[in-house]
Amino acid sequence: MEPVTVTARSRFRLVLVVALFVVVQETVAVKLRIAGFHPELMLLVPIAAGMVTGPREGAIAGFLAGIAIDLLLPTPFGLTALVGCLTGVAVGRATGSLTREVRWVPMLVALAASAGAVMLYAVLGAVLGQEQFLRVNLAGLVLVVALVNAVLAPAAQRVVRWALGPGGETRLASGSAW
Amino acid sequence: MLILVLLSLSVITLDQSGRTHHLTSGIKSLASDIFSPIRSGVNAILDPIGNVFAGVVHYNSVVAENHELQQALARLRLRDDARGYQLRQLTELQQLLAENRLPYLQQLPTVLAQQTQIGNTNFAATIDIDKGRDDGVDVGMPVIGAGGLVGQVTFAAHHTATVTLITDGSSKVGVSFGKGNAYTATLDGQGPSGALTADFVLPGTPVRRGERMYTNNLAGNDFPGGIPVAYVTGVRTPPGASQETVDVKPLANLGALSYVEVVQWSPSP
Repeated sequence: MEPVTVTARSRFRLVLVVALFVVVQETVAVKLRIAGFHPELMLLVPIAAGMVTGPREGAIAGFLAGIAIDLLLPTPFGLTALVGCLTGVAVGRATGSLTREVRWVPMLVALAASAGAVMLYAVLGAVLGQEQFLRVNLAGLVLVVALVNAVLAPAAQRVVRWALGPGGETRLASGSAW
Repeated sequence: MLILVLLSLSVITLDQSGRTHHLTSGIKSLASDIFSPIRSGVNAILDPIGNVFAGVVHYNSVVAENHELQQALARLRLRDDARGYQLRQLTELQQLLAENRLPYLQQLPTVLAQQTQIGNTNFAATIDIDKGRDDGVDVGMPVIGAGGLVGQVTFAAHHTATVTLITDGSSKVGVSFGKGNAYTATLDGQGPSGALTADFVLPGTPVRRGERMYTNNLAGNDFPGGIPVAYVTGVRTPPGASQETVDVKPLANLGALSYVEVVQWSPSP
C-alpha cells in the first residue's frame, strides 16, 4: 500500500476519537467493575495507533489520549500522557514487521501492551511518590485491563484507522500537520 | 517522540512542584467543570439502559436480594409488634448517639452532597461528589456519611469535588480507642480493596474485636476529633513483633454511599 500523508483532517479525527474514548471511559467503562477493577480503554488509543501507523503516530495518539484523561483523574497530571506516549512508541516499534491482517495479532499485541502499560504506570507513580500505586492488586488489575483491551483491540483498531486516514495498514511516512 | 516524552515529564514536574501545582490544579478544575455536565447528560441517557442490562445479568442476585429483603421486612414487622420495641430502639439510638460523639460535629457546619461517581482510576480509592468550591467545599475537609468517616476532600472544582476514601493507600487517620480513649493508633488505608490496618499499637494493648475507633484531635491530625471511623475485626501479635497486628473495617459502608456530608473544618496549619 502507498504511504499516506498525515493531514490536518486526520489529526482532527484523532482528536474526535480521543474525545469519544474519554466519554466512553468516564461514563461507561468506570462503571464496569470486574473483580473490583474497571477497564482502561484509553490505552487502546496509542496501542491501535502504534499498530496502524507506527511509533510516531502512536506516541502522538498516546500523549493526546493520556493528557485528556489526566485532566479528569486525581492521579499526577501528565503521568498517563507519559505512559501513553511510551506505549504508542513501543507498540509501533514492536509491531513494525508483524502481519496485522490476522485478527489475533492485534489482540495479542493489545494484551501484552496493556499489561506493560499498567505496570509501567504503577512503577512510575511510585517513583513520583505515589507508593500506594503498588499496593493495589496489580496482578488482578493487569489481567482485567489486558483481557478487556485484547477483546476490544480489533474494534479500536478500526476506529483509529478511520481517524488516521486510508492506508491504515501502512506506516505513515511524512508530512506531519503538527 | 522525544519532544512528547519531555513534554509529559514537564507537565508532571509542574504538577508535582508546590509552586506551580495550582496551575495544573486550575486546569483540572476547569476540565472537571466542563466535563461534569457532559457526564451527567450521558449518564442520564445510559443509566436506564445499563440498569436493564444489570437487571438481566444479575437477575439471580436481584431475586435473592429481593428474597432477603422480604425476610428482613417480615422480621422487622414481627419485632415492631413486640412490646417495648420502640422504647428499646430509642434507647439504642440514644446510646449510639452518645457513643458516636456526633454532638461534636453539630458545632461544625456541613455541606450535604451526593455521590456522582465511584473513583475513575484503578489506582486510588476515591468518589466524586456534586458539590464544589462554590458550595463551600474545599481541599482538606473531612467527609462523613453512612455511619462514619468516609474520607477527605483532595480536589475541589467549582461545582464538583473528589473525596479520597479512608481505604485509599495514601490515607492515614489518627484514631483513639479503648477506655477513656487512652490508646491511639494510625489507620492506614490498604488500597481500593477496602481494608484498613491499625499501626503503632503496642503489644499488650487491650484491643478487642468489635472495638470502635474514633478520630482524635491530636496536633497535626487531618480530622476533628470524635468521628467514628472503624471497628476492629481481628487482633494478633506475631511472636517478636514490636506492635500488634490489628485489622479494622470502616464503619461507613463505602461501597454504598449515596449522600455524604462535607464538614467545613480545616486542619490547623
